[in-house]
Amino acid sequence: MNAPARSVTYRTRPLPAIVPIGLFVVVGAVLAGHGFASERNIANLGLQASILLMLAMPMTLIIMSEGLDLSAGAVLSLCSVVMAMMLAGGHGLVAALAASLGVGLAFGLANGGLVSLLGLPPFVVTLGTLGIAQGAALVLTEGNAVSGLGPGISALYADHIAGIPLPVIIALATWLVTHVLLYHTRFGAYVFAIGGNRDALVLAGVRASAWHIAIYAYGGLVSGVAALLLTGRMNAAHPTVAIGMEFDAIAAVVLGGTSFERGDGRLLGTVLGVATITVLRNALDLLGIESSLQVVSIGVLILVVIMIDSARRTWRVHPA
Amino acid sequence: MTSSHAAAARARVPLAHWRHHFASENAALALRVALILLMALLLALSSDAFLSTANVLNVLRQASLMFLLATGLTLVILCGGFDLSVAANLTLSACLAAGVIKSGASPWLGVATALACSTLAGALNGLAITLLRLPAFLATYAMLWILQGLAFHYMGGQEIYGFPPAFRALGTGFLLGVPVPVYLMAAVLVAGTLFTRSTNVGQEIYAIGANPEAARLSGIPVRRRQLLVYALSGLMSGLAAVVYLARVNAADSGMGEPLLLPVIAAVLIGGTSLFGGVGSLLGTVLGAIILALVINGMNLLDIKAQWQPLIVGVVLLAAVLVDVVGRGHRERIG
Amino acid sequence: MPLLALRSVSKSFPGVRALEDVSLDLHGGEVHMLLGENGAGKSSLIKVLYGAYRADAGTILHEGHLVDIKRPADARRMGIAVIFQEFSLVPFLDLAHNIFLGREPRHRVTRLIDHARMHREARAALDSLGLDYDTRALPVHLGIARQQMVEIAKALSQNARILVMDEPTAALSDREADALFAVIRRLRADGVAILYISHRMKEVLELGDRVTVLRDGRRVATMLRGEASANELIAMMVGRAAGAAGAVYQRRHFGEPGATALEVRGLCTASGVNGVDLVVRAGEIVGLSGLVGAGRTEVARAVFGADPITAGEVKLFGAPVHGGPDRVASRGVALIPENRKQEGLALKRSTQDNLLAASLWKQFPRGWYRARPARRHARALIERLRVTPGEPRRLASVLSGGNQQKVVIGKWLVAGCRLFMFDEPTRGIDIGAKGEIFALIEDLVKRGAAVLLISSELSEIVHVCDRAYVMRTGRIVGELARHDLSEENLLRLAMHET
Repeated sequence: MNAPARSVTYRTRPLPAIVPIGLFVVVGAVLAGHGFASERNIANLGLQASILLMLAMPMTLIIMSEGLDLSAGAVLSLCSVVMAMMLAGGHGLVAALAASLGVGLAFGLANGGLVSLLGLPPFVVTLGTLGIAQGAALVLTEGNAVSGLGPGISALYADHIAGIPLPVIIALATWLVTHVLLYHTRFGAYVFAIGGNRDALVLAGVRASAWHIAIYAYGGLVSGVAALLLTGRMNAAHPTVAIGMEFDAIAAVVLGGTSFERGDGRLLGTVLGVATITVLRNALDLLGIESSLQVVSIGVLILVVIMIDSARRTWRVHPA
Repeated sequence: MTSSHAAAARARVPLAHWRHHFASENAALALRVALILLMALLLALSSDAFLSTANVLNVLRQASLMFLLATGLTLVILCGGFDLSVAANLTLSACLAAGVIKSGASPWLGVATALACSTLAGALNGLAITLLRLPAFLATYAMLWILQGLAFHYMGGQEIYGFPPAFRALGTGFLLGVPVPVYLMAAVLVAGTLFTRSTNVGQEIYAIGANPEAARLSGIPVRRRQLLVYALSGLMSGLAAVVYLARVNAADSGMGEPLLLPVIAAVLIGGTSLFGGVGSLLGTVLGAIILALVINGMNLLDIKAQWQPLIVGVVLLAAVLVDVVGRGHRERIG
Repeated sequence: MPLLALRSVSKSFPGVRALEDVSLDLHGGEVHMLLGENGAGKSSLIKVLYGAYRADAGTILHEGHLVDIKRPADARRMGIAVIFQEFSLVPFLDLAHNIFLGREPRHRVTRLIDHARMHREARAALDSLGLDYDTRALPVHLGIARQQMVEIAKALSQNARILVMDEPTAALSDREADALFAVIRRLRADGVAILYISHRMKEVLELGDRVTVLRDGRRVATMLRGEASANELIAMMVGRAAGAAGAVYQRRHFGEPGATALEVRGLCTASGVNGVDLVVRAGEIVGLSGLVGAGRTEVARAVFGADPITAGEVKLFGAPVHGGPDRVASRGVALIPENRKQEGLALKRSTQDNLLAASLWKQFPRGWYRARPARRHARALIERLRVTPGEPRRLASVLSGGNQQKVVIGKWLVAGCRLFMFDEPTRGIDIGAKGEIFALIEDLVKRGAAVLLISSELSEIVHVCDRAYVMRTGRIVGELARHDLSEENLLRLAMHET
């Protein structure tokens, strides 16, 4: 490459801590054995990671914009419930999907509106909408699972295109869409700006608050689509099944190197984070370590990664 | 010269100006008392069962339990922080205490275990926030999951129930016709108010919450005080755990989770501002009573339990809205 | 014909005449320097130019046509761009995107961002200034100097023909400043009109084609290059108009200084202090003068323990000091910070609470705070300082600027405080309150305290201080004894002249 020598060059960013950690986890999982590396298990992993990947994509954008969405899991459950109820009521898949998207979008707009227009702290707002979504799901289902959905949706879940399971394709498509949004549209650029220097955006004459709402709305829409996978997987909907998934999503984003404060986002990092968490959980499952301790270890992992990243940042304070 | 256009657009817009003229704590508290009386009136009119002694005492008992858990959170928020892990802390402490008591040891040992663990968890939160400079919501969110996970692991999906009556009296007993937890609430209220209003440290906590940089430049040891409030929050979670355990006579790994939203709502409704420096424990008591009335109302009016998280969520958002809008804080315009 | 002409522009606010009858011509291909002391009207003028303020009177002509600048969009349309000191770059978007923020070129069909075109045009914008930065670089990897250059490129790419730069070299090293000047000369050659506010006489004389001096909101004179010497310009900046108010305060009594209260040797900090030595003794008011950005506030903060010290030594009352503000304050040192609302007061709390914030443990050594003695103490302070409204329980936010400042000072009127550092104590305060505050300060030194007074108001330093240090770029460049204290001398030292 004959690029002219410049006084200020494009510096490839240092790899986020997730890369070595992820490698470590994968190698560890393979070495630990217990059937981890079997073809069936790997295929399973892909399916397991799909929903988490979908949740983690908009979560990356939200965290980049100095926000947080604690309601993602609850909203996903609610969307799943709504979708299932539509199906059980005899409506077609398209109508069910539309309903699910509507619910997700509504919550996304609510979250975004409260955070952006009223300046309420995101963690409290989404805590409130978490309760509302969870409550709504419980009320609609009276606490029971919704079943009798007909064969349509589970067939969708089991479907393959060119040998790749459809859920995985949908998840990868979400990644692709998010990537395009973040790096090739104004919307994505404004996500960087809202997190990094909101004033710059306002000075440039852009309506920052509207775009800010859009970030959360995107999260709601994706939850609506992810409900397809969730409902298809069990061929039923349970009101509380996805509660807590936002934790894994947030963990994946944080592990992947996205920062809470500066409008710095690593979408690929999030993907690696999702992969790492999925592999970690799977391996721990195979080793017989229960879910609760898995959560503990992820929590500790988050703290460690944050500490490493912030230590690195202080060392890098003076650019050349 | 600053980018004044954007800066001016971002300036605080004092909306409710009349409220700023006096430190209007008393007015705010009176407003909440009025709200309580109004709610009580409405409930009395809507349901015959409301005004029975048993029901009123039950409401007070509920409020007391919530208040105990909300005390630590109030202190942390007053100091400008936040603690998402209070409920999970309660869960773990209660489960550990249950295990200890069930194994035959003296209930006091169980209580001590609960308090020790909960305070340790609180102190760890404090260290993460003061030393590692993690944002409060993130550190306590991670702690929430860690504590919850440990509780799940310890309980192994089981329940522990059936505790000695002497211990249960803490939660279910009566003294002179009044439930024991109410006395505890009163005691904690008195001690807590003494701490916040009548000690230097308490004054410093308010100062830090109101403006941490100005507090630091006034010679107040900010990080030391922050560590203290998080440790205290942990301690109060442990105390609440013990009383709660005594009340329900059973421990399981999900016991604390439904308490998080109501407790936050109680603190905010009580008038403590999310932004710090404003509020009181008395306000939290009133907030707890209001929330207990809401839940009681839902029970009396036969609203199914499934509606509770939803209604509490709405109440929480309403409380936050009132906090932000009423104080004239607009973080962003444009 | 000037590109932009202001004719008799005036702008007033309640109680303050920011600009009065100011006329100014900006010609293309010229660097027009704007000189003036603090408060002379420079920032008001800039705000009128870019639409943040609307002039009360006077006319503005753009290329000979009458125009009205009502808001920033109007100014932008006329090609007026201001390079701010606080930069408006998004840290993790590449340079090309920063330059085109809000007006990204997009593909016609897909509406996705046309990266190729964006980088091409950004490349052109940077090249036109002689900058060779990679357009894919991130602002986060650029220092302030280079970010500023990118700001300029951004303005140019929006077809700015009139550039306003406010103290652009304030945070730059000499080498970086030279690079900036090269860019400015290029712009000048291209026919851009540049309005450049500076306090560095060297720059003014070298770079300026025209110099306008503002004083008290009025235009004193406009000189062409070579028509006035540095000293003449300084005299114009400083001279008082006939009939203007005399000194705000005149010190009555100068005593003999006592023991050394503060001794600083070789102080360096990361915040911009580059080796400072100074001494303050009991009974004296020592001024610390210099232009904005010279490092005065940073010195006070470092002494107070608010910022870490990277080198050097601070001795308080003869003993070295370490630790944060809590340690330093307990030794009897007070800092009245520059930014009273953000750093001096808790606006949400009452006057009483604020007055007691620094003296809780002195008032109540056992740790038991009692409301009644607290209120008594607060009332005593309120009376002594004449704070209005006098009700201790009123929120600090309702107090006027002057009264707020009195509260911040009152916070430190504690037994045992022997060294006071005041940072711009009279900024934004009316004349009456200013006098009261200086009377208070004089009273403090009469009782044996030592005072370090940081002020940008030269007349204050001259009329109140026993002696003064002058700072420039993080160093002390001179010390003026009582008989040498004059506004001209202070300004000359601050601005590069010996």
